[in-house]
Amino acid sequence: MDELYLDNIDEYVNDQNKIVTYKWLSLTLGVHVNTAKQMLYHYLDQRRKERSGTTLHATYLVSGKCSENGSVCHKVSVVREDQLDDTKSKLDKTISVHVYSVQKAELKDSGPLYSTDYDAVKENLKNCNKYSTIRCAAAVPLSHTELQKVQEKVVEKEATKPSLNDHTAAAPKPSVKQPKGIMGMFSSKAAPKSEACNKEVKTEQKDEASPTEGPKSKVSSKANAMNNFFGKSADKKVTTDKPDKNIKEETEGAQSSSAAVSSKPSQSSSKSKQDIKEEQPKESKAVKDDSKDSRSKTKRLEHSDSEEERADSQKKKRRRIKKPQSDSSDDEVIPDSPPVPEVQTPSPGNEVKKEPVSHQEASEGRRRKRRRVLKARTFLDDEGCMVTEKGYESESYSESEDDSKTTSQPSGESNSLKQSLGKREEEKTKEKGQKKAPAAAAAANKSTKQSSIMGFFQKK
Amino acid sequence: MTTLTRQDLNFGQVVADILCEFLEVAIHLILYVREVYPSGIFQKRKKYNVPVQTTFCILPLNNYVEQSFAVLLEQNEAEKVVVVIMDKEHHPVERFVFEISQPPLLSISSETLLSHLEQLLRAVILKISVCDAVLDNNPPGCTFTVLVYTREAATRNMEKVQVIKDFPWIVADEQEVLMQEPRLIPLKTMTSDIVKMQLYVEERAHKSQPGTA
Repeated sequence: MDELYLDNIDEYVNDQNKIVTYKWLSLTLGVHVNTAKQMLYHYLDQRRKERSGTTLHATYLVSGKCSENGSVCHKVSVVREDQLDDTKSKLDKTISVHVYSVQKAELKDSGPLYSTDYDAVKENLKNCNKYSTIRCAAAVPLSHTELQKVQEKVVEKEATKPSLNDHTAAAPKPSVKQPKGIMGMFSSKAAPKSEACNKEVKTEQKDEASPTEGPKSKVSSKANAMNNFFGKSADKKVTTDKPDKNIKEETEGAQSSSAAVSSKPSQSSSKSKQDIKEEQPKESKAVKDDSKDSRSKTKRLEHSDSEEERADSQKKKRRRIKKPQSDSSDDEVIPDSPPVPEVQTPSPGNEVKKEPVSHQEASEGRRRKRRRVLKARTFLDDEGCMVTEKGYESESYSESEDDSKTTSQPSGESNSLKQSLGKREEEKTKEKGQKKAPAAAAAANKSTKQSSIMGFFQKK
Repeated sequence: MTTLTRQDLNFGQVVADILCEFLEVAIHLILYVREVYPSGIFQKRKKYNVPVQTTFCILPLNNYVEQSFAVLLEQNEAEKVVVVIMDKEHHPVERFVFEISQPPLLSISSETLLSHLEQLLRAVILKISVCDAVLDNNPPGCTFTVLVYTREAATRNMEKVQVIKDFPWIVADEQEVLMQEPRLIPLKTMTSDIVKMQLYVEERAHKSQPGTA
């Protein structure tokens, strides 16, 4: 039994060409970290005695006391083997030295060491210190009441800081957003994949999306992120739902979990990282819960904003359609809805779109507005031939036209879904004051007779 | 249906963007690990939640690498992307081959798709970092180039776009493409819903000797 681990390590290092760190080994084999360190040491020792064929490289973790600038400090560093003696000699007193990792390749920098542990730790986020010796009895998750207190403090801070975004509705936004934003800020450190992913996914960056994501991906220190976060808290869609609950199982709202994270900065950064990493797997759950529960427009907006960030086609479609509706009918609501990335597939969106589209039609056909309609223009070209071109023109329309369009809507549903999505992408860069659905409906219904009836009369 | 294709193009563009970013990071990392450029010009940046070495401070190198892929992957017609490291005589010494294919039915239906994808890309990056364990050292004074294998039609399409992009692609010399006595070393295979990628290295058996043209 004692010898089996040597074979395991041998397989990882030589056959799979992996970097075997003690942390990764302890999580993989399910042993205490100190045991893992000893295993690595024995393996290295044995291999070096046996054969000099395959050269193994190792890194060591050295910690000790040293005096810099007159003050005594405790220094911990990961060094390559060739620098080991040098580093030890520089320390006044060496407190601990142990093998950090074993690998075949000679590493040029420390990046891969972090990479190696990243996935292993993420999978075991809740109990990644199961095998470690560092314990703190006081490090327990906050209770619900304490979380709320922290939230309130944050909201007060938030209210005093000037908001940098251009949303006028920043102030009236529910305080719920704040903690979620904070969550997002911390989660940005490990850059919840979702954000990094969303960055990749998004083909067009818009005002709200880019400032939030930009600082996120480049955040190098918590302080910076904090400031960015506060400045852009109103934009915070991203984190609204992400938060994750999961820092504590018992919290039901994203707010509570976000507050939990915000209270954690005092703890070791590694712990908070772990917390943040934990959020990610659960974010999808959080999103679903939140989106289904919310009914108010502002919340809807907020969720729609957050949901834009994720590749959840279903929700995205639903929210996107509702947004213009709230834009047109509710003035104090944010007018500039960020354009939604066109990542979704048509099929999941189909069913969801049914309801919002009809909603939208009903409420929007009350005023006279300008919209873009697909029209055919016929003219004589140079050679004297009649040419018919279809193009988008803006025209003003009123309620009666809307009604005719709503009735014809259900018939061309699946078509309209896809086309309206396509339209959206075109109109993304244009002003948002116009109604998208009717324009889409008009375009979608060009295949059916009803919509063209009105267009026919207007053309002349 | 025009709208369907428009949507597909968009999705394709998203995948192309992801691949583009990834290839850019991978190329920078290859240049760092294989010591094509001195390590002083590299800076650590965060990508996929892990530190990677990139050369953002050296402008011409960045442009070359970025523009290499932007146009090309948009059409998703690249079958293989190869980073060739050549010695002083411009004979290939190493070829890092990324074989990319996309399954015909693309769909992003899963919420965890992108995080899973990021995990896979992270694994590929990690494998590149340790590839020098299986490769011999390169002779000094190496240069690199990027080759793309596409279909004939794709080349013609690209020519139309090139004028706008102002970054001409030329047909590669045979000398740069063929390698003497290649040894194949597989590095990593990755399969996900939206893209499949295989990375292997072709290495010349005797690197210090000049290759015969």
